[in-house]
Amino acid sequence: MKNKIKVFRAMHDMTQEDLAQAIGVTRQTILAIEKGKYVPSLDLAFRIARTFNVTIEDVFQYEAASPITVGID
Amino acid sequence: MKKNSFYLIVGCIALALLAVFWYSVEHHIRFITEAAFIVAIVLIYLIRTKVTDFIEDERTTRITEQAAVRTFQVFWVILCAFSIGAVMQILYIPSFPQEHFTNAASRPPVILGPRLMGFFQLFLLCLMIFLYVAFRIYYARKYGDWETDEE
Repeated sequence: MKNKIKVFRAMHDMTQEDLAQAIGVTRQTILAIEKGKYVPSLDLAFRIARTFNVTIEDVFQYEAASPITVGID
Repeated sequence: MKKNSFYLIVGCIALALLAVFWYSVEHHIRFITEAAFIVAIVLIYLIRTKVTDFIEDERTTRITEQAAVRTFQVFWVILCAFSIGAVMQILYIPSFPQEHFTNAASRPPVILGPRLMGFFQLFLLCLMIFLYVAFRIYYARKYGDWETDEE
């Protein structure tokens, strides 16, 4: 899952801390999402998109890299 | 309540618990420690609800959940393996019981005596804590807890 949070933050002149406070998460979570370490829930993704007044698809791009496998992650 | 105040109170409770444990061991009254432990944990949970600057979000919750599930998946196997051994001890019925009553030397050896059982319990307790901490560190790293950036 790719995202453009960093770009939208720059456009809105927001720091990670500002965005984190706006959507009620920690700064570390924003950082983890930006770096692709953590995939946010649908609820959080909506909140991020609404903060920037855009749609989810504008912020997040889904990439089907490999077939879905069931197992221990 | 601030986070630091909470940690101070937890420290005080831990010290009090240690004192109760010491008293309990000295006087050989284990129920005091058991009751004190339950009261202490309930107290800590209650006080924790009053802390205002704990920020928990879905990522931290996921880290905790993943660590707990993995700990359980590993721990129950070890616990069951140990428990099966203990059950076998209980179910052991000698073929010639009369001989065991008359001749002490031929009685089956007690593999898991109460003292050894205590050490095993301690080992399992430490193992559970170790597993949880290890899995928590693993998942915290996986979900970017120690990531840094230019900001």
